Amino acid sequence: MRLGVDEAGVTELMAVAEHTRAMSALAKGLVLLPDIPEPPAAGRPALVALADPERIEEPARSLFGEIRTFTREALGMDRIPNLWRAIGGNPHYLESTWRKDQVVMAAGKLAARDKRLVALGVAMNGGCTYLIEYQAAILRRAGCTDRDLLEVMGVVDHYNALNTMSDGMQIASDIKPPS
Amino acid sequence: MSTIRMVDPAAVTGKAKEIFDAVLRREEKVFGAKALSNIWRCMGHHGEYLEANWNRSRALMQRGQFPPLTRELIASAVSVANNCHY
Repeated sequence: MRLGVDEAGVTELMAVAEHTRAMSALAKGLVLLPDIPEPPAAGRPALVALADPERIEEPARSLFGEIRTFTREALGMDRIPNLWRAIGGNPHYLESTWRKDQVVMAAGKLAARDKRLVALGVAMNGGCTYLIEYQAAILRRAGCTDRDLLEVMGVVDHYNALNTMSDGMQIASDIKPPS
Repeated sequence: MSTIRMVDPAAVTGKAKEIFDAVLRREEKVFGAKALSNIWRCMGHHGEYLEANWNRSRALMQRGQFPPLTRELIASAVSVANNCHY
């Protein structure tokens, strides 16, 4: 509620946090090697086979079309990130996750760039290599520098320190929202 | 219920008092606090540690290139992801 963020803004923030955490679980669970900005040089790219965008049937085919359009714009890349190809084998999984990603990351009460910075921070916090590279590449394309990425890292680092401390000391929360 | 007692801000002197005052000034500005928050009070048991964390807090939360809101959003999201109630 501080800094002028209302309930709708807080809800958007929670959405970015939980969505990124869920996507991190997905990327780690499928043992996805980072493929952004470059495909992995060697090794198995994921636990499961990656769906082939040229051969896949509808409705996944149309979704891959949307994802390719997004990827061209946000990443300057003319291929579908392996994260989306990896869940392409289950069209329901692909569709619901891609739709949610669009909803959660779209500008609303919070700016789209802030949401992307938050997503990077949550991915860094969870140690998810795939999503760290994914979000960082999108941010770099939007003009973020190494200095900006370090600023996100610094906040994540510092709040891990404070969270560990307040949990360890079992400090009761004394910061109440304004009534 | 906390593991340790909270240091009474009125009972500290010297460097720790300076830091407590500075933290409270910031907390008043950022979220309208009337009294120093517990997370900082508990660090008062170890003055050098209090100072080290305050310096890091200023370096990482107040001196960046992003607007303060952006950093607070990241901080809140990380705390949620870590299940930190505080």
